[in-house]
Amino acid sequence: MGVTRDREVTSHQMPKPLIEARNIKLRVPVFQPDERQILSNPKRFFLDLYFSRSRRGTITILDDISVTLMPGERLGVIGANGAGKSTLLRVLAGIYVPTEGELTVNGNAKGLFDISLGMNQEATGLENIYMRGLQMGMNLSEIRERVPGIVAFAELGDSLEKPFNTYSTGMRLRLAVSVSTMIEPDILLLDEWIGAGDVHFRQKLKERMDRLVEKSRGLVLATHNAALMRSLCTHGLLLGEGKILYYGALEDTLAFYGEINST
Amino acid sequence: MAPQEQGGNEMPARDVISGLSRFEFWLYSSWFKFLIQYRKTLLGPVWLLVGPALFILVLGLLFSQVNAVDADLFIPHLTIGLITWTLISGFVTNSTTVFQRSRPQILQGTMRLSDIVMVDIISTVLQFLHQVVIVFAVFLIYSRSVSLYSFVSLLGLALLIANGIWLTVFFGIIGARFRDLAEIVGAIMRIAFLATPIIWLPGETSHGLLMSAFLTFNPFYHFLELVRAPLLNAAIAPLSWMVVLTLTVIGFALAIVFYQRFFRQVPLWV
Repeated sequence: MGVTRDREVTSHQMPKPLIEARNIKLRVPVFQPDERQILSNPKRFFLDLYFSRSRRGTITILDDISVTLMPGERLGVIGANGAGKSTLLRVLAGIYVPTEGELTVNGNAKGLFDISLGMNQEATGLENIYMRGLQMGMNLSEIRERVPGIVAFAELGDSLEKPFNTYSTGMRLRLAVSVSTMIEPDILLLDEWIGAGDVHFRQKLKERMDRLVEKSRGLVLATHNAALMRSLCTHGLLLGEGKILYYGALEDTLAFYGEINST
Repeated sequence: MAPQEQGGNEMPARDVISGLSRFEFWLYSSWFKFLIQYRKTLLGPVWLLVGPALFILVLGLLFSQVNAVDADLFIPHLTIGLITWTLISGFVTNSTTVFQRSRPQILQGTMRLSDIVMVDIISTVLQFLHQVVIVFAVFLIYSRSVSLYSFVSLLGLALLIANGIWLTVFFGIIGARFRDLAEIVGAIMRIAFLATPIIWLPGETSHGLLMSAFLTFNPFYHFLELVRAPLLNAAIAPLSWMVVLTLTVIGFALAIVFYQRFFRQVPLWV
């Protein structure tokens, strides 16, 4: 369970990898309901709902994952639904602590895991910007300075003072991206919902990511969208049922992914 | 297996780029959370006063008849008791679900577990501070005098809040793993309200055996005494100080052990 987080990036020495993960394994507790026959007949339906119990078990979500991310690299994690992509991002962000293996993260890793997570639905866009800013450790005047930039990127216009739950998907996506990159993290972790945006959004996202990586920072993107991955990433990691199926250059990984899908 | 483990570093760290202290962050976050709750109501936080005020008005007048005591003795007793109880039971009931309710923030990695605990505590205290207005009003109406000794009440309040912190960590972790805790605690707190002298007076002279057992083994009573007795110019039994201070020490020790042992698992449980 070795987890080292070093927040000072020392640039004058040999470039240290931003992320170094060796043989990471994550086991998580799950509820496994006892066998039920809910579908068999209506009587069983209610009996099972009342009396069937769940047992606790554990499943292995990530198994033997080794990854290195150097400054300036953009890693795309691709794989089917349930392959462990999002979980891997949460491990890299330090939210889940690996059960086994070693993880070293140099610099701060910030994530965008879900479009609505961390946003208060009832609060206005402006209030959400302030809340997230505070969570990132900024004071009120620092946040105020950044508001115009965020509003411009998110194209909120007059909606700034309207509740978050009235926003269109595009506005939510743009707001989430611009808020999360308010402080430019050393490593940005993006989950697959990011592929939900339209072409216009993807263009903006690419610009933002290019700017981040210019400052020799890293990106890890989880997706099952090969086109999005091709436009953003330099390296690829193919996951299947929590294990590494392929890890290497972007095109090789995508080719391998295509092969698997076609067979 | 882990040659380079560096203990202290726990949840994803917020990179502190400014002088914003953790306390300010907690305060702003809880205030915000607190006010958003009332966004769509007309009266807003004034609703916090309506419930207790009605309760005190009706029950105070009724029970001062039933219990055959002076209203100007009973109503201040009831008021401080009820408002303090709201704080106590707020801590206890909220504690069991504190981490589940903040699942999005935990899984997004934007807040540490300790931040979540403190924001929840401060929200409950903010609610309490609004309701203290009622205590002031009752003291004015019954023109009760306040002495220097009354300020001991603030010490009691500080101890009460401190105990809320360890309880939230402790119950929060257990409640995240065993969801049954919320049910158990809910059931206990309803009974505890009746078993604690809030809507009744314990009497001033010697108690029967059953009654003194009831009071001695009720930790809520001792916390309540520390806050209420100084305001009513009554003496605090040494036993109450002992119980509260012992619970504070044991509780914090327990919470620290639990936190270090289990904080890694909490994100998996919520």
